[in-house]
Amino acid sequence: MNNDLREQPEERLALQSPPPTLEAQTETPPQQQAGPAPRIRARGAARERTHTGGRAIVVTSGKGGVGKTTVTANLGAALADAGKRVVVVDADVGLRNLDVVMGLENRVRLHSLDVIEERCTLDEALVRDRIRRSLMLLPAAQNRDKDEIDPEDMLDLVDELQEKFDIVLIDCPAGIEQGFRNAVGGAQEAIVVTTPEVSAVRDADRVAGLLPGDMPARLIINRVRPRLVRKGTMMSVDDVLDILRLDLVGVVPDDREVIVATNRGNPVIDISGSPTGAAIRRIAARLLGEDVPIPDLTAHEPWFARMIGSLRPSRPSAKGS
Amino acid sequence: MKGNIFVVTSGKGGVGKTTTTANLGVALARMGKQVALVDADIGLRNLDLVLGLEKRIVYDVVDLAEGRCQPRQALIKDKRLPGLFLMPAAQTKDKESVTEAQMARVVHTLGADFDVVLIDCPAGIEHGFRNAVAGADQAVVVTMPEVSAIRDADRILGMLGSRRARIVVNRVRPEMVKSGDMLSIDDVAEILGREILGVVPDDEEVIDTTNRGQPVALDGSRHLAAIYSTMARRLLGENVPALEVQTDGLWMKLRRIMVGQR
Repeated sequence: MNNDLREQPEERLALQSPPPTLEAQTETPPQQQAGPAPRIRARGAARERTHTGGRAIVVTSGKGGVGKTTVTANLGAALADAGKRVVVVDADVGLRNLDVVMGLENRVRLHSLDVIEERCTLDEALVRDRIRRSLMLLPAAQNRDKDEIDPEDMLDLVDELQEKFDIVLIDCPAGIEQGFRNAVGGAQEAIVVTTPEVSAVRDADRVAGLLPGDMPARLIINRVRPRLVRKGTMMSVDDVLDILRLDLVGVVPDDREVIVATNRGNPVIDISGSPTGAAIRRIAARLLGEDVPIPDLTAHEPWFARMIGSLRPSRPSAKGS
Repeated sequence: MKGNIFVVTSGKGGVGKTTTTANLGVALARMGKQVALVDADIGLRNLDLVLGLEKRIVYDVVDLAEGRCQPRQALIKDKRLPGLFLMPAAQTKDKESVTEAQMARVVHTLGADFDVVLIDCPAGIEHGFRNAVAGADQAVVVTMPEVSAIRDADRILGMLGSRRARIVVNRVRPEMVKSGDMLSIDDVAEILGREILGVVPDDEEVIDTTNRGQPVALDGSRHLAAIYSTMARRLLGENVPALEVQTDGLWMKLRRIMVGQR
């Protein structure tokens, strides 16, 4: 890994053109930490980008079921609404779900492996969203194995996508095996999704440690139940940040509407009045560099909830952030 | 072969494999069985946290697989219940550091000494999945009434070969099933075409107890504990009907509306 860096120092400097929003990637060389599990090769170290294309962001978590796919689909839709050309890439070969969550499962004909193995062009494999014209899906193969792709293939694929799209969102599979390495291999930025549960936070910490040292990683805390945080039975945003020390980009409240919308293949952001949808739209704005404050979900509660709460025998004070 | 080695798997992550493994293990140990819980999620272990045993790990399953320790050195005895033991996963290794044959040998060794071995499988269908499944005689497939979880469970069923596989439908919200916003148990059973081992309601108590390392099945007075012990008896072949999930009464419904519990 270090050899790669030493071989082409001048070329590295000459070609360095960091994307505008990434401060962390500008000067510092990748920090290669010695560890039992090797870090994934940083994209910048592996190959220099010669074009100024869109941003490639991997949505990862370590633990499954924390909401990677839902976040990817909805964030993609919100970014498309913000006027960006967006492609969401399902990197979960063999267990794809992004197509279902977007309601596009019946329109999938080809997949990323068809492109990699040159059975079709990228344009042929892309599936346009039902609602948003500027949102596309690159589906994963369902009957293939993650070991059939390597990070280099993914890099080539994402490179090509970056020429056509402003934002490439990569939906990473659960775990830290080959599928994870592939998904991260194509990205320059990461969004780590976690929930306020000890096991999810532990896995997020592990994943953050496996990301390339120079890859900026932002954190989304998903499925927060404000009532449980107030009760003291769920970790607060501060508790999670104390452990993870990542750059917080948003807090998403738990909402039963998500299950309903996801089962129907509709984006949660289209449900008017959904706090989950609103939180995701704010995250999209923050990703685009807007200064949108993160509201304290645990602070405000309706008067009747307060009343009920005060009738309960013990009520720990709300932990605000 | 005694046929007492079960893999708890799901395909999709976060549906409750680890919680199910821990609680089934507790329920089986409460029945007086000798139970070994094997964490096969090398690199992303969590079963130790859910059981509250994370501070007592010395050796792990990779050490055992590679012959650096004896089974009894790696096994952690849960002091709350006689008969409950954890075989922890390594946290700093890769899933590729163990082969399917090594893993099968480990669980077969345990299977000879214990009444029941439950293997907590990692999410996905990669190397870690193949390792976890390698030595298992039967499977418990955990799923949720959601399209993506069921799709993944279906895919997993196809990869389990001829093993007997039964379904745990986890995180069911009865009020959502009633309102037609969630698939019913019958829907799930019909799609997957396998026997339902048990149905577990979505309960915030599970999150709380998991965070504290106190599996909910430890407290026999709880409804959830009864659900898990019924499931444990069915797992071992007893002919008891699966417990129905209780629907909320009027007061709980009102509270839900007013407090905004979701």
